[in-house]
Amino acid sequence: MAQVAQPDYDKPDDSGEIRVKVICLGDSAVGKSKLVERFLMDGYKPQQLSTYALTLFNHKTEINGQKVSVDFWDTAGQERFNNMHPSYYHQAHACILVFDTTRKVTYKNLPQWLKELREYRPEIPCLCAANKIDVDTSVTKKTFNFAKKHNMPFYFVSASDGTNVVRLFRDAIKAAMKYKSNPTDIMDEIMQELENFDLDPGNSNGDSSTDKKSKSAIGSPATDDGVVIS
Amino acid sequence: MTTTTLQLLKCGLRFDPPTLVITYKDWKANKLRRRSMPLRSFTKHSNISSAIKELTENKRHARFVQLLPEAQLHRLLTIMKDKLCGMSLEVSIARNNDIDTLDPNEDLNKVDPETLTRKKLQMDSTFEKNRKKPGDPDFQYNVEIDFETELGRVETSGWDSGDGSDPEF
Ligand SMILES: Nc1nc2c(ncn2[C@@H]2O[C@H](COP(=O)(O)OP(=O)(O)O)[C@@H](O)[C@H]2O)c(=O)[nH]1
Ligand SMILES: [Mg+2]
Repeated sequence: MAQVAQPDYDKPDDSGEIRVKVICLGDSAVGKSKLVERFLMDGYKPQQLSTYALTLFNHKTEINGQKVSVDFWDTAGQERFNNMHPSYYHQAHACILVFDTTRKVTYKNLPQWLKELREYRPEIPCLCAANKIDVDTSVTKKTFNFAKKHNMPFYFVSASDGTNVVRLFRDAIKAAMKYKSNPTDIMDEIMQELENFDLDPGNSNGDSSTDKKSKSAIGSPATDDGVVIS
Repeated sequence: MTTTTLQLLKCGLRFDPPTLVITYKDWKANKLRRRSMPLRSFTKHSNISSAIKELTENKRHARFVQLLPEAQLHRLLTIMKDKLCGMSLEVSIARNNDIDTLDPNEDLNKVDPETLTRKKLQMDSTFEKNRKKPGDPDFQYNVEIDFETELGRVETSGWDSGDGSDPEF
């Protein structure tokens, strides 16, 4: 992995490209890294920030005819300490806040992540993602008030089967670009777009197989001539 | 020669000296075999992930180590480490069963990195089972599904109320 210094996102862009920084936040194991991987597929080049244990992935794309160079920032496990290094938030233009629909505790921790985000970046757009809906799709029929309460767009996603991952990231990039060019009320626009969604309950495909804890078949402890089978 | 003709049947440990043991079926030769892989530099201070990396990079052992699921390797080496630390086998196995069980209420921000790795390996089985990836007949890069809006949803998740831990700010 290439070692780089922290880029300066406020420097004027050369080559007519907009440069934005999008960060992911949320508890350990909610699927932040898998979501970034799913969006970028194999087109990603991870770079390791030399100073801090943070990883960033550059992605070049075009949105409404505008060239944009996006750096997605991912943690290298610092969420374990319940907070991130300030450099993670520095100059960020948008945030994707993720929880795991199979683990309530990750939802309960969202206010703390949002609080920390707002200490560093009081105004940047923040999008809320409810991940792992493939495990039990019936969660998509349930209400989660956090996003609405904080006026954030909300997405049911799965890094595993891909549901709404591209939509989430594209919206995040758009929000980041808008914030950079005109830091005002972007969230209201996205909220409006989301409210225009068709109601189509028949559309929620996928099976709702539950998450059986599968242990390896090699199974139970036993011994033969001093060999422990675990 | 590829590993596909080898089928793992059992895996286990010998404690003295620390050794990883597997029995496998060699379908090409149609024979049942056992292989012992001494864990020479393994101590009670060893880092499990590094020890696994070493094993999988060992030219002589790699194709046998590959037969083992990663979660199983973590489990076996942790039991070995527990033993070297003086823990009884019973206690160690109980502890390792806990690690390999997903508790939806456990806060994974609070566990040590090795435990987190193992919890993620357990999560991987569902992740892989439900996965749609390039090459699968029904793979699409962009999958958009419009679920009902918050207003249209009728059931409550029950996650917004109850324990009063939903601080306002
Ligand atoms: N079933 C399912 N599992 C997922 C999904 N996304 C992530 N996982 C699992 O959750 C584990 C943690 O994901 P990871 O991206 O490492 O989480 P992070 O700590 O937030 O970066 C992974 O090992 C996967 O097994 C998903 O959409 N569906
Ligand atoms: Mg991660």
